[in-house]
Amino acid sequence: MSMSSETIVLPPSVSTRSAASRLGDLPMIPIIILAVIAFMAIFADVLAPHNPEVGALTARFKPPFWQTGGTMDHILGTDQLGRDVLSRLIFGARVSMVVGFTAVIFAGVVGTVLGILAGYLGGWADQVIMRITDAWLALPALTFAIFLAAIVGPSMWNIVIILGLVYWTRYARVVRGEVLSLKEREFVRLAIVAGCSKATIMRRHILPNVVNSAIVLATLMLGVVIVTEASLSFLGVGVPPPKPAWGLMLSDGKQGLMVGYWWLTVLPGCCIMLMVLSANLLGDWLRVKLDPQLRQL
Amino acid sequence: MKQFVTRRLGYSLLSLLVLSLTIFFFVRVTGDPAALLVEPGASEDDIAAIHHKFGLDKPLWAQYGLFMMSLLRGDFGQSFYYQTPVLDLYFDRLPNSLLLALVAMAFSLAVGIPTGILAAVRVGRFWDSAGKLFALLGLSLPSFFVGLVLILLFSVYLGWLPSSGSGGVLHILMPAFALGWYFAAAHMRLTRSSMLEVLGSEYVKLARLKGLPQSWVIGKHAFKNALIPVVTLAGINLVLMINVAVVVETVFAWPGVGRLLYEGISFRDFPVVQGIVIMGGTMIVVVNLLVDVVYAVIDPRIRLEK
Amino acid sequence: MTVTTRRRDVLALAALGMAAGAVRPAKAAAPSGQLTVGVHITLAPTWLDPAETAGIITPFMVLYALHDAVAKPMPQGNPSPSLAESWSAGEDGLSYEFVLRKGAKFHNGEPVTADDVKFSFERYRGAAHGLLKERVAAVETPDPQRVVFKLKNPWPDFITFYTVASGAGWVVPRKYVEKVGEDGFKKAPIGAGPYKFVSFTPGIELVMEAFDGYWRKTPSVKRIVMKVIPDESTRLAALKNGEVDIAYSIRAELAEELQRTPGLTLRPTVGSAPYYMYFPEQWDPKSPWHDQRVRLATKFALDYNTINKALTLGHSHITGSVIPENFEFYEKLAPPVYDPDKARQLLAEAGHPGGFDAGFYTCDAAYANLGEAVINYLGEVGIRAKLRPLERAAFFKGYADKKYKNIIQGASGAFGNAATRLEEFVVKGGNYAYGSYPEIDELFPLQAVELDRAKRAAILTKMQHLLDDRTMYVSIWQLAFISGVGPRLAESGFGLIKGFVYTAPYEDITLKSA
Repeated sequence: MSMSSETIVLPPSVSTRSAASRLGDLPMIPIIILAVIAFMAIFADVLAPHNPEVGALTARFKPPFWQTGGTMDHILGTDQLGRDVLSRLIFGARVSMVVGFTAVIFAGVVGTVLGILAGYLGGWADQVIMRITDAWLALPALTFAIFLAAIVGPSMWNIVIILGLVYWTRYARVVRGEVLSLKEREFVRLAIVAGCSKATIMRRHILPNVVNSAIVLATLMLGVVIVTEASLSFLGVGVPPPKPAWGLMLSDGKQGLMVGYWWLTVLPGCCIMLMVLSANLLGDWLRVKLDPQLRQL
Repeated sequence: MKQFVTRRLGYSLLSLLVLSLTIFFFVRVTGDPAALLVEPGASEDDIAAIHHKFGLDKPLWAQYGLFMMSLLRGDFGQSFYYQTPVLDLYFDRLPNSLLLALVAMAFSLAVGIPTGILAAVRVGRFWDSAGKLFALLGLSLPSFFVGLVLILLFSVYLGWLPSSGSGGVLHILMPAFALGWYFAAAHMRLTRSSMLEVLGSEYVKLARLKGLPQSWVIGKHAFKNALIPVVTLAGINLVLMINVAVVVETVFAWPGVGRLLYEGISFRDFPVVQGIVIMGGTMIVVVNLLVDVVYAVIDPRIRLEK
Repeated sequence: MTVTTRRRDVLALAALGMAAGAVRPAKAAAPSGQLTVGVHITLAPTWLDPAETAGIITPFMVLYALHDAVAKPMPQGNPSPSLAESWSAGEDGLSYEFVLRKGAKFHNGEPVTADDVKFSFERYRGAAHGLLKERVAAVETPDPQRVVFKLKNPWPDFITFYTVASGAGWVVPRKYVEKVGEDGFKKAPIGAGPYKFVSFTPGIELVMEAFDGYWRKTPSVKRIVMKVIPDESTRLAALKNGEVDIAYSIRAELAEELQRTPGLTLRPTVGSAPYYMYFPEQWDPKSPWHDQRVRLATKFALDYNTINKALTLGHSHITGSVIPENFEFYEKLAPPVYDPDKARQLLAEAGHPGGFDAGFYTCDAAYANLGEAVINYLGEVGIRAKLRPLERAAFFKGYADKKYKNIIQGASGAFGNAATRLEEFVVKGGNYAYGSYPEIDELFPLQAVELDRAKRAAILTKMQHLLDDRTMYVSIWQLAFISGVGPRLAESGFGLIKGFVYTAPYEDITLKSA
């Protein structure tokens, strides 16, 4: 019994280096960008100069202040309904953060749990979970999302659920693969010998060892989720207006691109790009640090 | 080996069965196709007549039974909207999708492989960073945005390329770029990690010890071996591309399968949606099966694994 | 050849009594050039066959080219004689006789006969076919030029349903259909319209070529290619780039850009689709919407003209009615005015001095931009609603299943006349009526059997006023459909037929001579 209380976590393969030197090459730029976005998201109510969902049709398509026709009242201009673009971008950070993180975490939790169950229990549980995973994977993600959007209707939280339901399979596959090899490791065998229950082994011995992979995957998935969210808006089934989501702003503003209302697309486009790029750079870095063996993400 | 293939095949069929059930019931809870074939305000008679025509007045289990029966005969049914056999529509569009996917893949590999190699052998240098950034940028921009910017630049301002449709060599350039760019980062990552793995292997170390020049080692030994997983992923992604090209196809009015599927969903054209998803699923399953089998041949240990 | 063409033109014009839009330069050149149309929605094979006409306007985009009808909406009237020269109703209201035009031919050269008309009517299975078949007792063909429809009971709307509100009056060649079969006909349709079928790729492209034996006139443009371009920005880019000559559905800021581009012209047409707010809870005494003053407040809250200018460049019509202005029996109501103070005052009187939380504003996601604008204005007077845009299929399902509360933003472009609209949206039992008012309900059966047109019009007028008096609906606008036309076109055909949003009649379209 005493054996089971002690959690054995496999050391990361780069453990020979000290913690300090590992932090030394932190990718500062992505972290700063993500921190700024997080700051905007948290303090949106204080930072935003205007209500992001209310505008006046009479003040539509005002350009940013440095262009002729622009005013300091709307520093980054107004959109097709006369809403303040800066305020929408700031509140959009909140929507994107909430959608991105919760969807990734939701997918991660579901996928990791199912992956561990499938990998460790094997047999019928494995069969059922993996066949569903395969079928789910064969469904094009966007198609699946459009379906779900049509069934459950549009709302920000439904988009989170949709993205979670679409992407959990990625985690399930990776985690199951890891569990299969962990199962054969010495410390798991010892735990079995020591009489630990299956639940205990999965929770205390398997889970901590797959968390690294799940975290790396989650960081990389953040970008995929944000871009998918924007594509859903383009197809008309994304976060419903008037909520200021970057993907929705980009999709709504695309008509203005040809007209010269560049700020309606370029600005949210840059925000999305910076966030996704940062998440990916961070993810790549984490991958090298935590799990150099991981592939095909 | 035979047993392994049989077992894998069984799993695949099981997955396809789950897929068919999922898609069949999902598509039916999303709405009524009849309501879309008429304007709001149409009489109930008209709607009932459409239901009867499409067999939607039968109980769900009976509809599923009929669907599976005809599926086994290789019949995917008739499109509600097009009133044409689904397979005819599908095979009309598939060549366009394949063409788009192939060109997009070529582009994606042309970006992904060199940047991946650079990332593996020249860590931190300028071209490594620039290449990585370019590949990741494709992943970070929604393809409809990329597409519209391309149209604006090359069709409207410069007038070099046609904005939409298919036909000539020129038509495919922009959609293939928009689609391929998104996949470039994935190929870059895999090239990099498999390059690193190969570079760390005994025989490459041996080659280095023998004093062979660095470029020779990378080009001759490492690259060839590192390419295998990349090509595998490219195969899987090629099938994925056919299925995920909806957005690009919509922006460029490219007549591919993705748009057929998307329109099928919008019109609640059940047979079209079912048909395309099952055909797409089958392709993915077949490719995965092939990959598994090929790997099993290369590495017999995999066969023993559950 | 040239001479015969000209003579036919003269005859046709004489028969039409100098039709508007039919005036053509007196050149008798053979059809030449190509017209490419960028279409906003997916082309369906069912549109090639009039028998499949669903109750939507889109198939007519193709029908007007390939086929012709006994009578159909045309520049000179809605309906106006086409394959039939004239028609007359029997005294008892139980029979209608059509006299067919001599010299009308199908694309294979065979004449259009009474037998084809009868066959096409019986073959018809599209919108309203149940209704037509239920009420028509027999179709008789006393001679090849005459068709007589016998009704079971007097039905004042017969002509409307046969010629305007369905595809039943469109004629296909009996012999050919019977020879090639149903599937064969869809693959290679033959009609009596101004353009012959050349090729069709489902959902992608339709190619047609001028038919020089068309009775009305020989088309001026040789080839018409319809290309599907689903994305609005791409359509405009194609128009700018000269890849298409007509781009359908260009909205809001893209329309502004279109207007600014030299060489391109904006062609707005107002269709038959009024958009409105509907309050499904107005019959629930516990709901704030039960109070008519609250509903009236929404009517005063909207700045109709600003919304119109912003979203459709001012081309939509603010009619204040839910009946399309081009419909038979349409009654012109006083147009709504923007008066936010009045709206606030009405709300205060109704017991909501600081406004109230109005719940959801449910709409078709394709028109969420209108919803957003309306909600903005409602919010300004204190009616705080949340937008709930649903994808089209889901929206209409929920609407008809009577699942929505608070406010619905709806629209209908269904065919018919004032009576058919009232039946579906206002009167008890209508598919989209969540409730009704007895004084309106009781008038409906009276008009349905009234043969005297003036008396019937009086009843329908009264119903429309009652509807307005109760503020059952608040009409937002009758939507303008905006299309773009490229520099190569002389006559684009837009707006020639009242209430028809696409380009037609195709034989009237001309290219600028090179």
